[in-house]
Amino acid sequence: MTAPSATERTDVKFVADRAQRLAVIAEQPQAGLVTEGLPLRANLSALENIALVPRYRRNLDETTSTGLAWRLLDRVGFTGCAMQRDPDLDHEERFVTKLLQAVLLDAPLILIDRPALLLPDTPYPAFLDRVLGALDGEFEHCTILDYAWNAPLYPPRASAISA
Amino acid sequence: MPTPGDSPARGAGLDTRFRAWAELFRFGFDALIGALSPATYNSATRDVVARQIYFTAWQILPWFAAFIVVLSLVITSILAGTARRFGLYDYALELAVRALVLEAVPLLTAFFVALRTGAAIATEVSLMRIRGELTALERLGIDPMRLELIPRVIGGTVALLALTSVGVVTSLLCAHLVVTGFQPWSAHDAELERVVATVLSPGAMLTLWSKVLIFGLAVTVIPISEAMHAPRRMFHAPIAVLNGMVRLFFALMLVETVALALQYL
Repeated sequence: MTAPSATERTDVKFVADRAQRLAVIAEQPQAGLVTEGLPLRANLSALENIALVPRYRRNLDETTSTGLAWRLLDRVGFTGCAMQRDPDLDHEERFVTKLLQAVLLDAPLILIDRPALLLPDTPYPAFLDRVLGALDGEFEHCTILDYAWNAPLYPPRASAISA
Repeated sequence: MPTPGDSPARGAGLDTRFRAWAELFRFGFDALIGALSPATYNSATRDVVARQIYFTAWQILPWFAAFIVVLSLVITSILAGTARRFGLYDYALELAVRALVLEAVPLLTAFFVALRTGAAIATEVSLMRIRGELTALERLGIDPMRLELIPRVIGGTVALLALTSVGVVTSLLCAHLVVTGFQPWSAHDAELERVVATVLSPGAMLTLWSKVLIFGLAVTVIPISEAMHAPRRMFHAPIAVLNGMVRLFFALMLVETVALALQYL
């Protein structure tokens, strides 16, 4: 029996309004939350922002934590932004940095909140598929939380849920 | 003509000030406890402490030392010239050591660090809080107090102690040079030893380094506390920095006045 793939570990939850969205987030206080409202540390590079999580939480030394962060950036193909700080990142780079922070949190769930807001210039369902696919095996489960009016943007999938 | 609203408004202002000082002391106490707790220190927090010391002390060390040399030479020359005119040249070195080493250098160093680092810390913490970076860290399971605030207090305090030490030694040597007529290996060497033994007594050293330690805590704790308790609106960031710096100025002057009173009254 094979382990579930990244696609199988990912579902999309559609909500009708802000109150529903906040209720879903409140239900998962331990989730690694990727959202517009939680910014990166402005005076750290993307690589340092990602490495900070294992460095602080697991007390890893700088070389090891940076190595972990670099490996993940390499897997998603975003090493080019590693040394840039938040104001110099584009939306995709900023999103990937936040996502990798959530991955290294080792939480049972990664919650991606309103991807349309995080990735305004990107056809984001395909982008999310690609990035999460590249991170296959690095996270347990991922839920994409989006508004119901964006549902037609997603390809039909078995795991789409309406809250 | 007074209106019915005047008294409550004045009372509210007083209450706000009292609360600000109470929050400041609470934050200072928490930071001190955190700094003394081994659990605070890990790879990430040690890095922030090291960076703080680097930016506050190491990066400016050459310019700071040069400033202290010039200041010490000028002040000691003025004191020595005045003392000679009044026939008190034998006391010139002691006067210079008291004025420079015990008072001017520690206070000026504290102002130097307050202007350079205190203002920067207040601005950075204000913006971090307003932008939601501290909340984001909490969500990642990272305690902002432990990662961002306590290391800045430790780093700033250590940096101020280090800079003051450099300033004290530099000004002592400069004062000696001026008083001995730039012949440091003359018969005046014994005079330097006598003055150092007299002026820098254990009691004076205890007062000096206690004062410097309080200066170090003040230049970091006051700006951070002010930034942490300001409303989370972008236009409040400069107000928080301004309030922090004004409060810091009064705190430094109050500590200096108390230290002077303890030393000389």
